[in-house]
Amino acid sequence: MDCHNCNRSCHHAGGRYRRRFGFFWQKAQKEMCEEKLLKFALVGSPNVGKSMLFNALTGAYVTVSNYPGTTVEIARGKTVIHGREYEVVDTPGMYSLLPITEEEKVARDLLLEEKPDLVVHVVDAKNLGRMLPLTYQLIEAGLPVLLAINMMDEAEQLGLAIDREKLERELGIPVVTMAAAQNVGIRELKERVAEYVNK
Amino acid sequence: MSINKVKYPEQIEKAISEIEKLLTIDYKLTKRSVALLLLQKDEALLREIAQKEPSYEKILEVITETEKHFTEPISYIIASVRQETAFKVEREALKEEGSEKASITEILHKLTVNPITGIPIMLLILYYGVYKFVGVFGAGTLVDLIETFFEKNINPVVNQVTAQVIPWKVLQDLIANDYGIITLGIRYAVAIVLPVVTTFFLMFSILEDSGYLPRLSLLVDRAFKAIGLSGRAVIPMVLGFGCDTMATMVTRTLETNRERIIATLLLALAIPCSAQLGVILGLLSNNPGALLIWSGFMIFVFLLVGFLTAQLLPGKRAGFYMEIPPLRIPKVKNVLTKTYVRMKWYFIEILPLFILASVLIWLGKLTGLFDLIIRALEPVMLWLGLPKEAAQVFLFGFFRRDYGAAGMFDLYQRGILAGRQLVVAAITLTLFIPCIAQFSMMLKERGTKVTLAMTAFIFPFAFLMGYLVNFLLTALGVNF
Repeated sequence: MDCHNCNRSCHHAGGRYRRRFGFFWQKAQKEMCEEKLLKFALVGSPNVGKSMLFNALTGAYVTVSNYPGTTVEIARGKTVIHGREYEVVDTPGMYSLLPITEEEKVARDLLLEEKPDLVVHVVDAKNLGRMLPLTYQLIEAGLPVLLAINMMDEAEQLGLAIDREKLERELGIPVVTMAAAQNVGIRELKERVAEYVNK
Repeated sequence: MSINKVKYPEQIEKAISEIEKLLTIDYKLTKRSVALLLLQKDEALLREIAQKEPSYEKILEVITETEKHFTEPISYIIASVRQETAFKVEREALKEEGSEKASITEILHKLTVNPITGIPIMLLILYYGVYKFVGVFGAGTLVDLIETFFEKNINPVVNQVTAQVIPWKVLQDLIANDYGIITLGIRYAVAIVLPVVTTFFLMFSILEDSGYLPRLSLLVDRAFKAIGLSGRAVIPMVLGFGCDTMATMVTRTLETNRERIIATLLLALAIPCSAQLGVILGLLSNNPGALLIWSGFMIFVFLLVGFLTAQLLPGKRAGFYMEIPPLRIPKVKNVLTKTYVRMKWYFIEILPLFILASVLIWLGKLTGLFDLIIRALEPVMLWLGLPKEAAQVFLFGFFRRDYGAAGMFDLYQRGILAGRQLVVAAITLTLFIPCIAQFSMMLKERGTKVTLAMTAFIFPFAFLMGYLVNFLLTALGVNF
């Protein structure tokens, strides 16, 4: 929990020394904080609402389109949970850890190179079964995974309900249900992210 | 919580543990995962172990040995075991409570995808959404309104004030008069491009959020196969109608390099961007016949060039696999935010360029360079049956597609371009080289060699087609 303090000292520490050696002070503090900034990545197949969720979490605006595969670069933003800052990374869609297109490669490289503290696998509630194989691959890879089941509103319209707890037991990872477009479940996701990362 | 893994067939599990033992370095993945990827012949990893693992040969041996136990590729078996496990888990966690609500969207979906009903729906959307709303309302009514306001209230004031404040004619021209920053650059940006782009982006956002566009991909998949692309390529193509630069980047989502090259060329050649499209629609909307010839010719060039490149370029043909999101009623707030963000982005990007263009024109006129280029272009214009004033429009087109198109709009309103000339100019300008931004994106995505080859083709091709159309229309005695 030192990071919590660090964050605080970043914003509130000051005084004579700081004024005089302001530049060095800021630089040193910044480095310390950046080192401890926790990072979670949003991954999943195209068109499950990753960018929409990214917007909801960070308040930044990334163009969201309702057709698959238009996020071609990695977007980064920040979100605050319980007064602590987290880096959020949005990735291009990928179907599996075995990449086919260039954009899928981008997502895999990010996972391997940057080793995020948590990987949030976003899936579409309507097509849960088709999307779980990637969850398994992420688990097999030894990555810390959280499953975020999005578009619950649409699944409910189709008469589908998901037993979240059962799914947690079956997979052995935390599961959150949500509808990012309706702003439903964002808070719970944040809670679970914090819980997971600080475990 | 204990993490649960997928259990693979015995032979594969055995191979996994054998490979796990042979791996010595850290892969940033668990050894199990690396072993699985190797069994599936992941290229990047195979390359890596070839360099770094002392027992590389032995690992390969394990893989070939395991392959012998199965009639199907290992990757297929691994994928199907995973999928089975996934479906089993889904069945256990999912409760279905009968679904009837879906029927309306299901019917709508079928209507949009079936060619018999889908094509009329597409045409209706194009007619009311694009032609009536963007072309007639945006590029017609709104542009007229703002243009008139500029010409009556702003330009004369600016001209007068600069004439009084600045004693030098040269500096006056920089800000006011025919090609000034305010009287030309800002007027183009605000009066011509802004209303067009706004109406287009609004329409586009609605279509986008409704989920119609992926259905359009399904609908045109067959036609696209003929030109070496899959329905998937509809995404960059449709995006191209918004902004070709952005679309060129999105060609990354296509599967093969061949497909990416074809898509990039077609974007540069035959897909007009929103600003250009709006202005052209505005120009030709009083002449339905002219509009028909322009759009028919564009579709013809698009298909012809696509077909020919598909024949010429070697490589594997693309498959088609895409997620189809459900049809939704767009949320007003989302549509408005999207339109606003795109407009802002567009405006911030183009305004400086329009101002820069004014300055360059001013410099060009001052040094005489501008006149030189224009004089060199004039014979080409006459050859195309265009008035020599059009040379300047094409020169503007180098800076930005929309700048050129806006210039053409200006000529039209001054009564210099008419009838057949409108069609010829519209066709040549649409085919013509993309704007600087798109050009640099092409360089970045496709590399210098491919980009230069494309440019070398596009330049003469655009003028040749313009000449051809003029020749045909004249020979057939078509006029508007």
